[in-house]
Amino acid sequence: MRTNGDKGGKNKGFSLLLPIILVFCILAGVVFSVSLKISREMSASAIQNLSESLDLLQCTIEAILNKESEFQQLMAQEIAASDNPEEYIRSYRKNQTMVKISLIRTGETEGISNTGEIFTEAELNFSAGGMVDGLHVSQSYLNYMGAWAYTIKCPVEKKGQEIGSLYVEYIYDSLDRSLPEGFYNGNAMLYIMDAESERLVLKPKGMGERNAGHLNLEDFYRANNIWEQDLREEVSECLENGNNIMFYHDVWGRSALNFMWSVNGGTIYLIGYVPVEAIQQEGKTVNQNILIVVAVMLIAFLACCALFFVNQRQQNKIRKEREAEREIHNRQLAEALQAAQAASSSKTTFLSNMSHDIRTPMNAVLGFTTLLARDAENPDKVREYTKKIMASGQHLLSLINDILDVSKIESGKVVLNLNKFTLSDLVVSVDAIVRPMAQAKKQHFHVEVTDIQHEYLLGDMMRINQILLNLLSNAVKYTQEGGEIWFRIIGLKQRSSQYEHIQIEVEDNGYGMTQEYLKTIFDAFTRAENSTTNKVQGTGLGMAITKNIVELMGGTIEVFSEVDRGSLFRVELEFRIPEEQVDQQFWETSGIKRILAVDDDAKICEGIRFLMKETGVQVDTVFSAEEAVSLLGREDSAEEGYHLLLLDGAMEGSLQTVKRLRGIMADTALVLLLADVVTDEMEEISCMENTGILLKPFFVSSLKEKILEFREEQREEQLLEREDDALKGMHFLAAEDNEINAEILAEILEMEGAVCKIVENGRLAVELFKNSAKGEFDAILMDVQMPVMNGYEAARAIRALEREDAGSIPIIAMTANAFAEDEKDALDAGMDVHVPKPIDMELLKKAIRQCCIQRKV
Amino acid sequence: MKKSCNKYLEKNFGVVPLRLLFFCLAGLMVLPLTACLSREKPGKNLLTTETEEVRIVNLFGPMEKTRPGGENAARNAFDKTIFMAEEKLGVRVDYITYTAEDYQDKTYDEVALDRARNDMDDIYLLNPDVIRKLASEGKLADLSELDGVENLREVVKTANVVDGKLVGIPQEVVVYGLFINEDIFKECGLKMPETPEEFLECCRVLKEKGYETPVGANRWWLETFVFAQAYADLYNGGNTEAEIAALNSGEKKYSDYMRSGFEFLQELIDKGYIDAEKAYKSEAIDGEGPDFLDQKTPIVMAYWSAANADTAYGKPDFNMTVIGFPSSRGQMPVVSMTGLCVGINAEHKEDALDTLNVVLSDEAFQVYAEVNRVISPSKSVETDCIPALKPLNDRIEEGVYVLGTNAGMDLEQWGNVCLVVRELLGGATVDACMAELDRLQEEALGK
Repeated sequence: MRTNGDKGGKNKGFSLLLPIILVFCILAGVVFSVSLKISREMSASAIQNLSESLDLLQCTIEAILNKESEFQQLMAQEIAASDNPEEYIRSYRKNQTMVKISLIRTGETEGISNTGEIFTEAELNFSAGGMVDGLHVSQSYLNYMGAWAYTIKCPVEKKGQEIGSLYVEYIYDSLDRSLPEGFYNGNAMLYIMDAESERLVLKPKGMGERNAGHLNLEDFYRANNIWEQDLREEVSECLENGNNIMFYHDVWGRSALNFMWSVNGGTIYLIGYVPVEAIQQEGKTVNQNILIVVAVMLIAFLACCALFFVNQRQQNKIRKEREAEREIHNRQLAEALQAAQAASSSKTTFLSNMSHDIRTPMNAVLGFTTLLARDAENPDKVREYTKKIMASGQHLLSLINDILDVSKIESGKVVLNLNKFTLSDLVVSVDAIVRPMAQAKKQHFHVEVTDIQHEYLLGDMMRINQILLNLLSNAVKYTQEGGEIWFRIIGLKQRSSQYEHIQIEVEDNGYGMTQEYLKTIFDAFTRAENSTTNKVQGTGLGMAITKNIVELMGGTIEVFSEVDRGSLFRVELEFRIPEEQVDQQFWETSGIKRILAVDDDAKICEGIRFLMKETGVQVDTVFSAEEAVSLLGREDSAEEGYHLLLLDGAMEGSLQTVKRLRGIMADTALVLLLADVVTDEMEEISCMENTGILLKPFFVSSLKEKILEFREEQREEQLLEREDDALKGMHFLAAEDNEINAEILAEILEMEGAVCKIVENGRLAVELFKNSAKGEFDAILMDVQMPVMNGYEAARAIRALEREDAGSIPIIAMTANAFAEDEKDALDAGMDVHVPKPIDMELLKKAIRQCCIQRKV
Repeated sequence: MKKSCNKYLEKNFGVVPLRLLFFCLAGLMVLPLTACLSREKPGKNLLTTETEEVRIVNLFGPMEKTRPGGENAARNAFDKTIFMAEEKLGVRVDYITYTAEDYQDKTYDEVALDRARNDMDDIYLLNPDVIRKLASEGKLADLSELDGVENLREVVKTANVVDGKLVGIPQEVVVYGLFINEDIFKECGLKMPETPEEFLECCRVLKEKGYETPVGANRWWLETFVFAQAYADLYNGGNTEAEIAALNSGEKKYSDYMRSGFEFLQELIDKGYIDAEKAYKSEAIDGEGPDFLDQKTPIVMAYWSAANADTAYGKPDFNMTVIGFPSSRGQMPVVSMTGLCVGINAEHKEDALDTLNVVLSDEAFQVYAEVNRVISPSKSVETDCIPALKPLNDRIEEGVYVLGTNAGMDLEQWGNVCLVVRELLGGATVDACMAELDRLQEEALGK
């Protein structure tokens, strides 16, 4: 369609162009024919002009010759009449025309001249037969004056009888005076040539054109570059016949009319040339004007063409732009439609999945509740059913959490809760969750930490955990039994000294993903295998959440995967480094100044040394147990002593070595086995005094914790014993609008030996507390979303009461608003701690312990 | 309406083509106006013939007047000085020229002699022998009163003073020398000859090496060999004036001086080092020049400025050097001078003298010397010489040279010796040539 449009446009363009070209062609043709005609006419006019001039010169010279002849005849008559002709001759004084007169009497070969010399005719050549007015004229020659001359011979007759011949010598210079000065304004060249000898006998004076003497006709040809043989032959023929000839030939690069003009029947010739422009002075102007007209027409034509083409181009451009715009529009519409369809489809799929995924645990809850009602008398069954109901509830909860997470992240409501954390805690917590999952599928889970410079970092650990657990749980989920999973934390080169640049890699050799799926892996509501019968459970939101969180942290995530070969997720994040990194005082107070690390892997040894660098603790490394034994056995070593031994538990014979070393080392010194997995044998050894297990990878913080663990083990045990029955006898005020929840809460607290007074909203809680005696309640458990007055308002109101204990009574938030910002809001409202619903009894106990018991202590 | 029209045009043709269109149209509108620019002449008479009387000076010379920037440097330099005079004096110098068609024609000198004797022209450019002849006939005017005379070199004055009158002044001191193809000499292992014997040896070697005619010659300049050998001692022996006086008085004979030179030439001819027949018919440079430039002939003789760029031997395809002629005193430059003269009865004598006053001024000498790079007759004009001319220049600077013409000698040298040498070329014996010289000397003594 468009092609047709283009063709149509082009055809239209050509149909416009053709008439323009035609008009200009016609105009050009007219101008050309007019200029040609003018040129021809001017040429004819020039030839005629020059011919007339030359005719005039010819007539002038012939008239002079005739006059000379007539005068000479008069002289002959005078001589004939003279008594003494010789005396007449001698007495003659030369003038500018007749430079010599001579007389030879008839029958004699010698005569006399006015110069006094003996004169003979032998010096003269009359053979050419030239005549002037019936008198013989000689061939031209250089005379005694060094001038070109000719002699006219005239018979001297007395009474009808020839008594002698009068010879009068004339010089050509005399003719020069009769010729125009500056022929054609000095632009022309005019010579007189003797036809017989072809010598140039009269030459132009004034300004010359050439750098050679003008000798003869050949010289004329040479000087004017006339080499054409046919032309020269034609000229020769004319000269022989006494005819005139005129021809065009360039002289000195200018078009010129060359001429050979016969004078006196061809005895002498006027030869020379006139530049055409010298004859046609007006012609130059005419030509210039014609050229201007042609140039203007040409410019006009070119301008028309240019405008035409510019117009065409503009039109095409506009058309193309419109088409492109339309195409973009269409594409955008199509994309929008596709996106809408995809979104709709995704959401339909999602809803379908959700429906299935929610119904499944719900079905289990309802089903087992029915069974529970039926088998209420059977404690084993009850326990089994409640366990299953609990599992289903947990699953349902995780589903809801994910959905809410996505919704919040997408609406930009997520706030990162930045706190100091250690990488060791992160790794330990992740390891604790993932390793059992991997072990359940008989997978090998490898944790590698390399090149980390700072363990203490600022970040939202919970969210980082979420990222890692999403990635790792996926790795476990989508890796076959017995597969391999690698979890790597790699320290990259710092971009800024204030930030630690970390790369997290989660790699597996599992099922992998198709390239098509990889394109949508981070989109919400997608799942690798879109089947309700998929054995792998999930909401399809995990990766979307992960990506959003990574980006929220200013990091990047990328994924590489091949079907049946596995996947690699690579996350790059930067965490601010807290100002106080190392608590050197800790090491000093702990009494640990020297550490011996034993590991056959040099990299690990170096890593330990590197991480401990800033603690001020001296770290020595050896690569085998034997070396360690030998080192510790030395006296000097024994004197100084090591306060801590780190031994790779995976090394051969390491466990036996521990026993041996325990003997060598001081009892107070700590021995720690570094291990990926804790085996029974290790457990056994760890029962030895001051001996324990430190999970790999090595972190200073984990070591520190371990040390603390040793030091405070006893005290903690005692504290725990005291806390087990901490709630016993306590009085709580609880604000909860949901009756079931209120009932559950009351039951649970009752089970713990505590008493709970429940009110339906915040206002009632405030009033009850206001009216209560001091110390009547040990703590207030506050729901947030309640009618009349919500939890936050109530907390603020309680804190604002003018009671002694209004500011100190612990207020514990219990709410289904389980996000970090909810916790923040709760704390801001004056509450002490935040416990999310549904209530985890252990968590609640811990929170109460934290707020109440420790306060008492 | 206008705005919408503009918008339409801008939309369809763009802003730049639109402006271009307007400029084109404006240009086209201006063009016809140019037709109105010509001015009408006031008054009824349409003719514009304001004839100005031109003072003409006729100059007889060998070459035509050339346009400024013409090809021949020599003429160009000469013409430049003439233009200076024309501009300064408001005269027009018309050139009357003659060139012989061939050797049978009258020579330039003969025609010049005829014309000067018949007072045909005002100024003549003459060779030394002609000057001598015409001066002795009293046909040349005295130029002693010209402004530039006091700066002339003594040698110039000496050579052109006849009967106490300075009759001719050259525009350059013409120094003749041998033009040598240095490449061929090197190839043949030859060094530059100093003496006649060394020169003959060079010719022998060159002949053996395949150079059929080692010396290129013409019918004019072979006499330079004779002068070099004849007068090497006369002009460089410290007794010049006495010896010339002896020659003028007839105590000594020119033939005694010149015999060795003629014999030397005879030997060159006999041994085939010079092609006498060809030389006899050859004009200067036209005859021997092409072979020299084609490296067929390694040696030619010519005048100083022929070595300069844009002249006869200015741009050879080989390394060229110019040395003096062989003599008993080593390489000997031969100095000659063509002179500008004024006819004693010249029709425009005053203008002619005024013209020469400009043409022969130091300013004009400077122009001439700079263009042609020649030795100026004026002491106050100096020019550099090209490397090829250095050997010749060194000798001149040393003051070692012979004169080819000397007005102090009663027997005209340049022309007469030239003619006698031509007889030798024509087949006359050395003795016959000596006899001719003796006869000429007798003739001069008779006057």
